[in-house]
Amino acid sequence: MSDARRPEFPGLRGPVTLALLGALLPVLMFAGLFAGAIPLEIETVVNSLLGRDGPRQDFIVLQSRLPRALLAALAGGALALSGALIQALMRNPLASPKIVGINSGAAFAVLVTAFYIPALPHSLLPVPAALGGLMAGALVWWCAQRGDIDPRQLTLVGLAVGLTLDAGVDALLVANTGPESSAPLIWLTGSLWGRGWTHLASVAPVLLTLAAAALILAFRLDLQALGPRRAAGLGVRIGLERTLALLAAVILASVAVSVVGVLGFVGLMAPHVATRLVGGRHRIMLPTAALFGAVLTVGADTLGRAIRPPLEISAGILTALMGAAFFIWLLIAEDRRILA
Amino acid sequence: MSPPLEPQADFMKFPTVFLALALAAGAAQARDVTHELGTTDVPDSPERIVVLEFSFIDALAALNLAPVGIADDDQRDRVQPVWSERIGDDWTSVGTRKTPNLEIIASLQPDLIIADKSRHAAVYETLGQIAPTVVYDSLTGDYEDMLAVADEIGTALGRAEEMDAFQAGHGARMDALRADVSEQTQGDDAQFGVINANGLWLHSPKSYVGSLLASFGFAPAMPLTGSDSYGELYQKTTLEQLSALDPGLLILGKSGDGRTLDQDWNADSLWQQIDAVERGRLFNVSSDLWSRARGMLTAEEIAADIRDIAATLK
Amino acid sequence: MTDLTFSRTGRPSRIRLSRGGMRGAVLTCVLAAGALASLLTGGRDDVGLAQLAGLFAGEAASPAEQTMRDIRLPRTLAAAGLGINLGVAGLLLQAVTRNPLASPAILGINQGAALGIVLGLTVPALAVVPGWLLASVFGLAAACLTFAIAGLVSGRIDSMRLILGGVAVGAIGFSAVRLGYTLEDDIAREVVRWTVGDIADLRIDAALRLLAFAVPGLGLAYLMAHRLNLMAMGHAASHGLGFDPRATLVQGTVLAALLTGVSISVAGPIAFVGLVAPHIARWLCGADHRRLLPVVVLIGATLTIWADALSKLLPQAEEAPVGIVVAMLGAPWLLVSVLRRSGTAHV
Repeated sequence: MSDARRPEFPGLRGPVTLALLGALLPVLMFAGLFAGAIPLEIETVVNSLLGRDGPRQDFIVLQSRLPRALLAALAGGALALSGALIQALMRNPLASPKIVGINSGAAFAVLVTAFYIPALPHSLLPVPAALGGLMAGALVWWCAQRGDIDPRQLTLVGLAVGLTLDAGVDALLVANTGPESSAPLIWLTGSLWGRGWTHLASVAPVLLTLAAAALILAFRLDLQALGPRRAAGLGVRIGLERTLALLAAVILASVAVSVVGVLGFVGLMAPHVATRLVGGRHRIMLPTAALFGAVLTVGADTLGRAIRPPLEISAGILTALMGAAFFIWLLIAEDRRILA
Repeated sequence: MSPPLEPQADFMKFPTVFLALALAAGAAQARDVTHELGTTDVPDSPERIVVLEFSFIDALAALNLAPVGIADDDQRDRVQPVWSERIGDDWTSVGTRKTPNLEIIASLQPDLIIADKSRHAAVYETLGQIAPTVVYDSLTGDYEDMLAVADEIGTALGRAEEMDAFQAGHGARMDALRADVSEQTQGDDAQFGVINANGLWLHSPKSYVGSLLASFGFAPAMPLTGSDSYGELYQKTTLEQLSALDPGLLILGKSGDGRTLDQDWNADSLWQQIDAVERGRLFNVSSDLWSRARGMLTAEEIAADIRDIAATLK
Repeated sequence: MTDLTFSRTGRPSRIRLSRGGMRGAVLTCVLAAGALASLLTGGRDDVGLAQLAGLFAGEAASPAEQTMRDIRLPRTLAAAGLGINLGVAGLLLQAVTRNPLASPAILGINQGAALGIVLGLTVPALAVVPGWLLASVFGLAAACLTFAIAGLVSGRIDSMRLILGGVAVGAIGFSAVRLGYTLEDDIAREVVRWTVGDIADLRIDAALRLLAFAVPGLGLAYLMAHRLNLMAMGHAASHGLGFDPRATLVQGTVLAALLTGVSISVAGPIAFVGLVAPHIARWLCGADHRRLLPVVVLIGATLTIWADALSKLLPQAEEAPVGIVVAMLGAPWLLVSVLRRSGTAHV
């Protein structure tokens, strides 16, 4: 995406959209407390939330739906931020954590751990995931560095690394088809089944810190968009900033993936939608993308729980379908501005 | 005349009181049950039990206990008739065994959950928040392992003696069936496999069905070496590999509703030359029963199938 | 290519094989070795080259000869056919999209076929339809959808839109595959296995079907070879040279789709062949598609035949699906190839 053609919407459009999304998210999360395999009434939900007497469903509301909603929002926001950072760094509208091989690296590492180091407690899974994502990201970065830091180089190498790691994931799945592969298989589809407060606690600090860091970097990225020379003149250290941003993107995606699995297309779609809504300035676009990613994931999780009980459709499956619809719409609308 | 009785009454008072106190204390106390993933405080006589694997249904059915929730893969007819005869039809489906629906389980307000180690270890703590949860390994291992797990479940439910009695009866019935069969099977090798449109999976001699066939006197067609890992217990086998094994008796469980691979193989001369096919010793059985339904009651059904197969061998 | 050099005195000096000739010879040897390895390995121990005589024995063939005739030979031929079809499809796509990482997977056919397979496993009404038919129908439908939304009908198609269209359609199939993972064990295992690519139980009809597409496909591709060379020069140059790049894009893609469709219907999606074989071919003999085509045929066939042999040779009772072995063989090549490109800062 050429920077000169990124849309800019001065004025209140950005902040208003941000505020609307910011209000939509808690409303959606609250609505999600009612929906699911067991539809609940307002009184039941409120009683459980406030600890009052009367009809209650403490486990469903407090131990299942509430932490899942928070985790979905956090993971969706993290993936969206990661995607936005990568697209900004690589100036490629098709870039996403998947493109840089991060998802595949994290997935491979988690599967290796799940199958061959079963003694590792599940709360520690973000660690191998982050390591896997970092290794994939590092490999991609190193390969691309050897020539020049050309964004297109990064994309190509990232695709190759990602494909290889995907093949590794397939090999692991074929080699381990027993019941111990149940949990990893479900995890791969991007599911919040069985997630609760412990999962949230294990990733929330890292994700929130990195999200804050990403938003700070957003301001610096706006300066970089002016071009290397002018940015350097304004005191931005390009190499270090870009490296930090890439690092943040990798860890955000890996840690999010470690706990909710591979949520397809969130990192790819959210920046696109955010740009169309509020323009290309990163300090507005990044938070918007994060909120959109959160809303999308919470919506997908709630829908997946409610469609066909007792089955649960993984959130990742629904986000992939939404991604498909989104891309088809993009193409049919023939909006070449974004694709140029 | 009261005086001769009084000392006796006094004498009897203490044990009676003691017994009463002990009983009262026992009823209020839950028991500690040790299982695959630790130790859990289980209520004395659980009444609302949720089971998340098929072999656990069997253990409950043996004790005539009806679970309130079953993970039946969203297909009620996966619960074998021999079980539903004893547990009825009142249970609620909690979804797939792979990902049982935690909300539905919670809404049933169970006082005990029985889960499988391979599948549910990841959500053991979450299940524990709903109700006391015990975990056993129901999917690996052979026939003897299944009996051991059923025994442990009996103990966990506080009905150890009843389970022992049932297992003794079950053992006797199985021995009787073995006696019927043993003359016809000496020296013959038999192989069981599950077949669908795309592949044939043979069950190794160390698998559940493999060990049952062995206990009925059949020789194994596959080599006895190999580990217990899932990939070795259930091996995808090509036609060429099958013809190299050349079993004398082939038992196929057909999975799925459509075509199965052996229908495609019928035209192959290599298939026709397999010992079992040539001698007409090819049998179809229910794949649901043989490969998915572990347990004592269903083992008796499988044994009845084996007896019927052996009867045609004469 | 042999190249006779004459010394100044006019007498012929040693005949030297040109480098291209050497490479071609080595490649053919590797292919032949792979074919032997594939033919001589399998479940039975008593099958060797001598059993090839069974091809003419008819009813009187021994089991070993039947194995060679009915199972081993067709399987090896099918493996070769897959390698040829997928390799040519990959070469075509990389040429018409000018993207060295294009492969048959970008058309969404893999994912469409996967959707068909998952539907066949989950919808009772479709259970009786054979898998290969579901894979073909849904795979080609997915390709048509990709073309349609990429603008084939409206004429707005270009390589970027094609890739995006493939991503969009692919996402639908991708969701279906992931859904298959969450269903019961048997379905999940089938889906995992199919999406990796498996040729274990193929017979002569499958091999013939593949070769029936490969031969005319190769011929058509050869006719396009000159235009494929010109595509590399960019749109402006092609207009100047008087041919329509868009038409070439469409023809190349449709041909690639047909070759891929038949391959998937036979064996499921085998990744990496269509991606890696053209890379290796370009490394060996440059960018002229008239030379690339036969080389890609050799390399693609070699890759899949060796993968088939190794899948039977690996020390496990159960054969590894051929798609996994292809990935294991192909992935290092891919990484090396991409590294070399980035090293020279040249895409």
